[in-house]
Amino acid sequence: MADLKCSRLAKSYGNRAVLTDIDLDVPEGTLTAILGASGSGKTTLLRLVIGFIAADAGMISVGGTVVADAGRVQVPPDKRAIGYVAQEGALFPHLTVAGNVAFGLPRNERRGAARVAETLDLVGLPRDYAERRPHQLSGGEQRRVALARALAPRPRLVLLDEPFSGLDAALRAETREAVLNALAGEGTTAVLVTHDQSEALSMGREVAVLRDGRLVQTASPAVLYRDPVDLEVAHFVGDAVVLAGTVRSGDVECALGTLATRIAVADGDVRVMIRPEQIRFAPGADAEVLDHSYRGPDTIVHLALRNDERTPVELRTFDQEVPGRGELVGLTVVGPVTVYPA
Amino acid sequence: MLVAVLVLIPVVVTCIQALEGGVSAAVDALRASSSLGLLKNSLLVTVISVPICGLLGVTGAWFVERTRLPFRRLWAVLLVAPLTVPPFVTSYAWANLGNPFQGLYGAAGIIGFTYFPIVFLLVAVALRGLDPALEETAQSLGLGTTRIFFRVILPQLRPALLGGLLLVALDALVEFDAFVALRFRTFSSDIYAQYQLGFSASGAAALSFFSIVICIVLLFGEAWLRGNRNYTRVSQGARRATTRYPLGRTTLPVLAVLGALVAVGVGIPVVTLIKWFTTSTHAGLHTASANLHYLFPASLTSVGLGVAAALLALVCALPVAVLAVRYQGPVVTTLERSVYLAFALPDLVAGIALAYAASHYASFLYGSFFLLVFAEAILFLPFALVALRATLGQIERSLEDSARSLGAGPLAALWRVTVPLARPGFLAAAVLVFAFTLGDLSTAQVLLPLNLYTLGTEFQANSSSVAFAAAAPFAAVLIGLAMITAYVLMSRFGEVRALAES
Repeated sequence: MADLKCSRLAKSYGNRAVLTDIDLDVPEGTLTAILGASGSGKTTLLRLVIGFIAADAGMISVGGTVVADAGRVQVPPDKRAIGYVAQEGALFPHLTVAGNVAFGLPRNERRGAARVAETLDLVGLPRDYAERRPHQLSGGEQRRVALARALAPRPRLVLLDEPFSGLDAALRAETREAVLNALAGEGTTAVLVTHDQSEALSMGREVAVLRDGRLVQTASPAVLYRDPVDLEVAHFVGDAVVLAGTVRSGDVECALGTLATRIAVADGDVRVMIRPEQIRFAPGADAEVLDHSYRGPDTIVHLALRNDERTPVELRTFDQEVPGRGELVGLTVVGPVTVYPA
Repeated sequence: MLVAVLVLIPVVVTCIQALEGGVSAAVDALRASSSLGLLKNSLLVTVISVPICGLLGVTGAWFVERTRLPFRRLWAVLLVAPLTVPPFVTSYAWANLGNPFQGLYGAAGIIGFTYFPIVFLLVAVALRGLDPALEETAQSLGLGTTRIFFRVILPQLRPALLGGLLLVALDALVEFDAFVALRFRTFSSDIYAQYQLGFSASGAAALSFFSIVICIVLLFGEAWLRGNRNYTRVSQGARRATTRYPLGRTTLPVLAVLGALVAVGVGIPVVTLIKWFTTSTHAGLHTASANLHYLFPASLTSVGLGVAAALLALVCALPVAVLAVRYQGPVVTTLERSVYLAFALPDLVAGIALAYAASHYASFLYGSFFLLVFAEAILFLPFALVALRATLGQIERSLEDSARSLGAGPLAALWRVTVPLARPGFLAAAVLVFAFTLGDLSTAQVLLPLNLYTLGTEFQANSSSVAFAAAAPFAAVLIGLAMITAYVLMSRFGEVRALAES
């Protein structure tokens, strides 16, 4: 197992810069999720690290060994010992599950079934799956085999490219769990690429947000969610209510009252970011209920503030009884809020 | 790159030969042979036979691939069979039908009915690769079956169809074997005459210089018609199996049309062959039985030659096909196209050019079996290339990527992933080259070592006598081998689909 370090990576196709100045450190034995919208350069970054393409500038090292240094070093993908789980799995259709899993093992180990059985256990598949063909497996099982195949040769690092895309919600959660367990079991350093914020937040020890080819923020999931670097990231990682406000002696005054800020800021006009679950019902008549979207465990309530009707406000509640449309409700905000320059 | 250089040897040598006697000598040769009239004949055959091939090929492929035709598998084999029947056998069979078939129409007919399977094969592969969601969308937009065919399906078949027609056109232009028994003179038969009259290499070369120019024009024309549009599937997710249209009351007429197609393509040679046996004179039969002890060695040489040429063609085609599928760009396109150039030479001229090159620069090869194998392999390389490209194109790139990330080097990834997945394509390519080599006459006549004979050369030697029965056993073995080839080709071909759908 080894850590991954990328410094000042850049890649462009023709005049179009796909990645600019990427600095990324993935500590040994941890999983970092790279979160980005489609077209943000996620897959290009993965392909640079594996070595399918060469960077225009910058350096990549795994476990202290430089595997790519633009213009000087370019270790071919097969010599990097980096595991790769492609989108949709990409299992070899002409081989059995065992044949797939054993593919990357040295010739003398391929015959023995020991490592195959071990890795199948690791990803939570029954051992008798070994003789099945890829097309006999469900989508989730195919992803697990793809992971087992990547883990079998004991790579220094595993890269997962949208490994859960196309799976339904229940299967997704189950497969996610199996993947995390398998990675933890081997203590493998891993990088997961995804456009799904809940997947990134729940799986990564750290989450790196990629936007227009730049890493705009790399932080733990909690910091990223509560204290995003700008409003765009705030909206990207979750729902957000944004109000105009003014900071006076440390606290911020806005349509929802005077609130504590997470980080001390200088006095002046700001924009206030509040997560919908921070807003709670309270006695009073601050806002009118416009509508609700029922989502099962929780409900999103859309509100119009009486002192600022133009700004949409959402409240997330776990109450089963929710005030009806047109009712007037009081609001309060729990916990500190994040502010950005106006 | 090396492959392209090897392929271009005969082309370059021919050009050198053409200009050896100076430009004026080349011009003289053209005048003396009334080539312009013959050129017109060659072009006429091409212009008539190419649309025939297109129509027959697309129709056949559509009914086999997209309708609930009874005995689809059998029809697939039967529709490919005409391609594997040696053209010179077909030629004698058609000539036997009577005078009307010995001129232009006979010539165009032979080409049309012998080579339409090329279009059939390519279009069938393309039809299998179509996403049914596109047709369903068109249907939901209010289009009927006929309009869907012309507005959705046909445009998507364009690359395959044009590729097939290009092969047919190149073939028709330089065909000689197929006209061997007709009273019809083309460019190639004139070249043949020049060759027989006194081994006038430079005269023949001057003439083929023309065909190289036409070939380049055709290659550009096809590239221009094809354009650089992208036809790859853009939507993601698993593709559903294609739906087949029921034929209903049209089943019988369709069966009749396909039956007629097969009857013309395969039936005529087979019936003629039987006629030769039954109506031949006692003397003819006597020669036939006397010839029987040549039959086995001739078959052995033919099969050996075919297998060797097929293997060599595969080795040459693989790198070009991989490059063409994985790295598109002007250099690769030129490389791929250059492979077609050798195809533009009449077989005979290519044979002469190689013999010339060998005698001058590699005398140890001159008159050797290997030189003939090499000639057949590069002549039929375009077919191998087309078959390999079709299957390689269906293999997802992420599979090779996965192999690389698991520690397999580029060659190991090719050997352990790409080659096993492309196996049906390899087999199809090998079988095509095998069939063409079996059916080749003129190259073998020039390059065959003196002590050897093939089924083709024996057939030719005996057919010049009045008694066709003497030639019949050779033709019978050739047609038998052709049927086996067609069967193997189509049974492997079915796997391409199985793989694509899994």
